[in-house]
Amino acid sequence: MDDEDEHPVLTAVSNSARQLYHLLRCINFSDKAHVQISEEGLRFSVDEASVMEGSAFLDKSLFTSYTFRATPPQPRQHEDSDEEEEDEASSTPTFQISLPSLLETLQIFGLTDPNNSKPPWARDNSTSTAFSNNVLGMNNMCRISYDSIGAPLSIILTESTISTTCNLTTYEPDFADEIPFDRQSLAFKTIMRGSWLFDAISELASTSPESLSLYARMARGKPFFALSASGPLGSARVEFSQQQQPTPAPPPTNPNHPSAPDAQPNLLETFQLSDPTSTLRSTYKFALIQKAARAMSVATKVSIRSDTQGVLSLQFMIEVDAGAEGAKVSFVDFRFVPLVDEGEEGYEADETILGIEADHDEGTKDEI
Amino acid sequence: MAVLSFTLMPEAAAKVHDLLVCLGKFSDTVAIEARRERFTFTALNSSKSAYAALSLDAKQFFTSYECIPSQGSPDGRFTCSMYTKALLSVFKGRLYDPLGRDGAIDHCEVSVQDRPDQTECRFIIKMICNQGVIKTYKLTYEATEVMHALFDRNVAKNRWSMHAAAMKEYIEYFGTKTEMLDIFAGEDGRAVFKSYTEKITNGKEILKHPLVTAVAVNTSDFEEFNVQMGLHIIISVKDFKAIVVHADTLKTSLKAFYSQPTRPLQFSYGCDGLLCEFTLMTSGDYNAAPTPTPAPQMPSRANSRAQSTANERPDMRGGRLEMPPPVEPASRRSTRRRNPGSRKARSPRSAEPDPDSLFIQPDEDDARWEPVDYNNEEETLGWDASAEHGSVAFPTFRDSGTLSRTETEDNNEAIAPTQRVSQVKGLW
Repeated sequence: MDDEDEHPVLTAVSNSARQLYHLLRCINFSDKAHVQISEEGLRFSVDEASVMEGSAFLDKSLFTSYTFRATPPQPRQHEDSDEEEEDEASSTPTFQISLPSLLETLQIFGLTDPNNSKPPWARDNSTSTAFSNNVLGMNNMCRISYDSIGAPLSIILTESTISTTCNLTTYEPDFADEIPFDRQSLAFKTIMRGSWLFDAISELASTSPESLSLYARMARGKPFFALSASGPLGSARVEFSQQQQPTPAPPPTNPNHPSAPDAQPNLLETFQLSDPTSTLRSTYKFALIQKAARAMSVATKVSIRSDTQGVLSLQFMIEVDAGAEGAKVSFVDFRFVPLVDEGEEGYEADETILGIEADHDEGTKDEI
Repeated sequence: MAVLSFTLMPEAAAKVHDLLVCLGKFSDTVAIEARRERFTFTALNSSKSAYAALSLDAKQFFTSYECIPSQGSPDGRFTCSMYTKALLSVFKGRLYDPLGRDGAIDHCEVSVQDRPDQTECRFIIKMICNQGVIKTYKLTYEATEVMHALFDRNVAKNRWSMHAAAMKEYIEYFGTKTEMLDIFAGEDGRAVFKSYTEKITNGKEILKHPLVTAVAVNTSDFEEFNVQMGLHIIISVKDFKAIVVHADTLKTSLKAFYSQPTRPLQFSYGCDGLLCEFTLMTSGDYNAAPTPTPAPQMPSRANSRAQSTANERPDMRGGRLEMPPPVEPASRRSTRRRNPGSRKARSPRSAEPDPDSLFIQPDEDDARWEPVDYNNEEETLGWDASAEHGSVAFPTFRDSGTLSRTETEDNNEAIAPTQRVSQVKGLW
């Protein structure tokens, strides 16, 4: 670590600090973020009281150049062989940085789109040559480098002739465990438009609720998904049901297949329930879910999954504008630990919902 | 038990949003009165100086409407009150979007769950969106009695009417901090809308700066202008702005009816099954205007009275307006001498049945005023302990020593408690 680092651990260059900013802003709910550098990209994760975590993955395709050099093997030779684990950890360097500071840094030149705007003081481009910065797309650069473990994360932003260097202090990693989410035993999975989820959460927020309940079941062969919350002024519920789909969804005996492919975009693109005969219900702290609201508002799609233990995973697919190359897709993940079921009160609400839903279903059936 | 359910199209739901925004400027809570033929939102502001009633016609405004009041209810209506804020969070803006974007609804179903066999009484609003999303809100409500301010248009000889869009231009000139609006019918064929604030100083400190904006409008610009020359009438700017802005959303004409200062003024407008009526207190020097003597109005006075609270003048407390107390006939004045002198200073008017007052007179038939049959006076008195919701005209007990003493003293004058509560609020 102490020798000459002519080869920094990470050098990444992006021509759009804006993209990085938009992705990282989705998880901006905590002071410190863990950064994990790997061959594939940068992973930023934040955590709140170990019951919620959010992570954004900056794929190396987001960068025009991305050079990762695993920590040189010297430390192992210096140190005793019992440091096997640390060696393993250091192969994917992890550290903490202040996320708000990073976000401030990334927007230091504002958030203008680099491709269609130039700073007001920029000269007229009449004298541009084939090698001028504008033509090379270099007038708006963000270069991230991390020299060695313990070194600051340095971010160099260049716009026209101005360049800013920011060195962000890195801190020792704080936690290693992430919320366990068992992908192998999913209780429920659905994919829908992010804006629908955002709309639903903002509707429910009007009741200033403590907790958010999630219901999923097959209602008369059709997928049914509802979010419900109640507060001092009353309760609110947003239901998503596949009522415009004329053909019934696949029979409940075949749960592991997604809904029948439909020409028109479905409300719920995928709907899987491990046990279609019963209603899945789980409760989460509303304030935590609301922290993912920014991701919901910018996401094109969201995959809502819940494992058999009730851990909720929200995976947001966010299209970042990558200029002429077309949209690239990035993912931001959130995980939530469920609240313990309150028992009877919950069941009662459950039944009310089901009763009313059944009535409604009847109504729509008649209309059709 | 009461059955109430109705369906709204997006356009109507957007109008409900607009009217709730308007009512929200008057009061935190909005009262709902549903009858077989109409549905009314009412609001009474905290100083009881403004009362709003917005009626939705059952046939015109709603796609479908059903209201079957419960058997026990005395006059065939369902009433409740709710937080305006809670309703507004349901009836958001942009409910009606011709392009059908996000947030737009297909229709809105409202029902009331008021059956004893159900565990919860809730006001249920179901927003059905286009893509199969259903948003259901179950709001809590409070059972209240709804009272209405009465207003006799036969007495209100002064009338004008103007398109709300034009009026909206004028109110934009009024200063944001101004409080009072003087509507003056000049003798030169102009009406002057003057918004102003009285200067208030506390020692050397200036608490309120005077700011006067006068908008003079040719009376020919009015659709109708039939106001006694030289008549000043003063209302609150804030109320007026709220009314004009809402009237403008309906693209309709705003009509004003009033008789003279210190008597209620009514604004009225509406279209497409929505009728909005705002009854506001007015102030001003009613002696200054060459008004006809009150005598001709006496026969219809009973009808013209608003509910007692509508005439309260909270601004008297602030001392901003020098308003002479109503003229008291000598016969009444003599009765006051029975009261101890110490009390006279504090509440010179409380014991005086003023013939010009809009308050309920002890010798008149109170029964017509009460919204429900109060056969048992004792029960009635204990009915509302909070005294903070809209219907202050109910007799209430206050936990105040002075008040109870007043009551005993007033016994021989037999003034209904209705009168006292409102007066106490006005004077303390």
